[in-house]
Amino acid sequence: MFALAGCLTYLVLVSEPVDAMLTELTTEAAVLRVYRQAFAVLAREAGAMILDAGLIDVDEAILEAFAAAGSEGLTAAEVVAACHRFGVTVVERRLGVLRDYRAITKVVDRPNEQHYRAAFAPYIMLLFLRRLAERGGQSELHQLLTLEQLNVSHHDAVADDGRASVGRLTKVFRLLANELTSLVQRGAAEALRENAQLLWGNRSLIVQAEEVHAVVLGRWPSLGPPCASLRTSLAAYGDAIEAAAGRLIEQAGTTRALGFLPAETWVSFARRSDAQTLATVLDSFVFDAPAPWLSPQALAEAVESARPAGGTRSRPPRPDDRQDLAEKELMPTDDAAELRAAAMRLLGDRGAVSVAELLDEAGDWPTGRRLVGEMIAIHHHPELPFELRWDDGLRIDAEAFPSWVSDGWFRRLPQ
Amino acid sequence: MNQTDTALWWARARAAGPQRIPPGGPAPAGMLRLAEPDGSGTWLLPVLPDNASAAVLDELGLPGHILEHPNDTARVLAACVRCCWTDPAGPLWPGAAAPWEQVAAAFTAIVIRDEAVSHRALLAGVRRLARSGWLLWDEGAPVIRLGPRVAAWNAAQLSTLREMYRSMPAAGLSA
Repeated sequence: MFALAGCLTYLVLVSEPVDAMLTELTTEAAVLRVYRQAFAVLAREAGAMILDAGLIDVDEAILEAFAAAGSEGLTAAEVVAACHRFGVTVVERRLGVLRDYRAITKVVDRPNEQHYRAAFAPYIMLLFLRRLAERGGQSELHQLLTLEQLNVSHHDAVADDGRASVGRLTKVFRLLANELTSLVQRGAAEALRENAQLLWGNRSLIVQAEEVHAVVLGRWPSLGPPCASLRTSLAAYGDAIEAAAGRLIEQAGTTRALGFLPAETWVSFARRSDAQTLATVLDSFVFDAPAPWLSPQALAEAVESARPAGGTRSRPPRPDDRQDLAEKELMPTDDAAELRAAAMRLLGDRGAVSVAELLDEAGDWPTGRRLVGEMIAIHHHPELPFELRWDDGLRIDAEAFPSWVSDGWFRRLPQ
Repeated sequence: MNQTDTALWWARARAAGPQRIPPGGPAPAGMLRLAEPDGSGTWLLPVLPDNASAAVLDELGLPGHILEHPNDTARVLAACVRCCWTDPAGPLWPGAAAPWEQVAAAFTAIVIRDEAVSHRALLAGVRRLARSGWLLWDEGAPVIRLGPRVAAWNAAQLSTLREMYRSMPAAGLSA
């Protein structure tokens, strides 16, 4: 059983070095991919691969049902009943697949046999796959290396064990190195980045492998040639790591695309590095930190520009058109009453009076001038029934006041 | 003081501004030694020839160091010059320490603004200038002094500064 598990581990690891990525397996697709590749060594036809990671649960339930059933085995109907939490068709289809792969077989091989029994190997495989999905292939590889070291260090171990162990390790690291090298040489940078997990943390793998190598070479010096090829494959893997890292750095360096590595990787680097390592990051950078330069000219200009130029500029006054005045209010104040009173005062009880007479009454020019103004205003007022009429006559008296006066009459108009 | 040490001092000054050393410290070539008025230390200020100073960038119209709020910062420095320059006929350095309120008053006299806004601009400007060695001011300190960098202005530039000094309102000088 353990041999099978070990063998499966081995197969999975050598056929799928990318499973080192499993530490960050979160998507079902990625889980499925590993399952598919793990099953590939067993599958007879490609179409039979599961497309839903949930089907593994169905398989597990089926195998559990068989385990509980004992040596009698189960009929297909009993299996479906035992796995009632899954759909009948799903369970039947899985049963068919498992039957095809001989994971379950008839208890007695005869045409009408209804009872089936399950093999233990598929369940071991299931357990292994679950562990792989949970913990990742890299830790499996570490465990494998530890196991190999235990094997070769065991006091019962013989030279053939050492040879086999070294041979396995040689194959593992060759496959790892091949995959990585082909990615570096031909793959897109993105593909390389996706598989970047292959790159780091793997120095310890090499160290572990070297320990195994040292033990084997120390115990069985005759195994020099296989050990030499292990050394070669380890060196090839180391070179592949260097090349891949170099390519990633080159890409990231030219594009400054820090996204070429997962953000957490940067964080880990920053947190775990000492000051010396961190400083090397900036080795090729020249920092120039000149302080701002302020010239007195700039100072003077700044001070000058802060002053308000010629005081604040105010808006020229605008006509206040917030409310239109009524047309009547636009008319001059009506002084009809005053003018009527003035006319009555001028005329007295007379029907008409000459301008010369009124001026004579006034006696001096300022008063006379006011009188003439009043008469003209009264004459032009549309509502007042008085008029000022000028005739052709002219009274001249150089000595008297006024020295001359036109022949004008101020009179009340007939109603 | 060999060539390497001199280069190191220049690099320090380049990266971190004028360096303060204890009195009687090294005298790297090409650097001006500015003694503190109380003799507690000496500033090392790189003196660049006129055709190699930062002012050349201005003349060539090349982008220099980007200063936030360049106008306000220049006004803050102008206010400090107005307050700290004890004798406009003489050199700027070391000048006298001016109380914060006096600088604030001088600054407010230049920029006519709301008091809170003006205070913010002044604080920001003083911080910026203190960082780059134009002013000596500790966060929260009540007085401001001119920094060693002002000693880098040459005679022609000082005459410009004198004119500015005279034209600036004397508000707050008696405070």
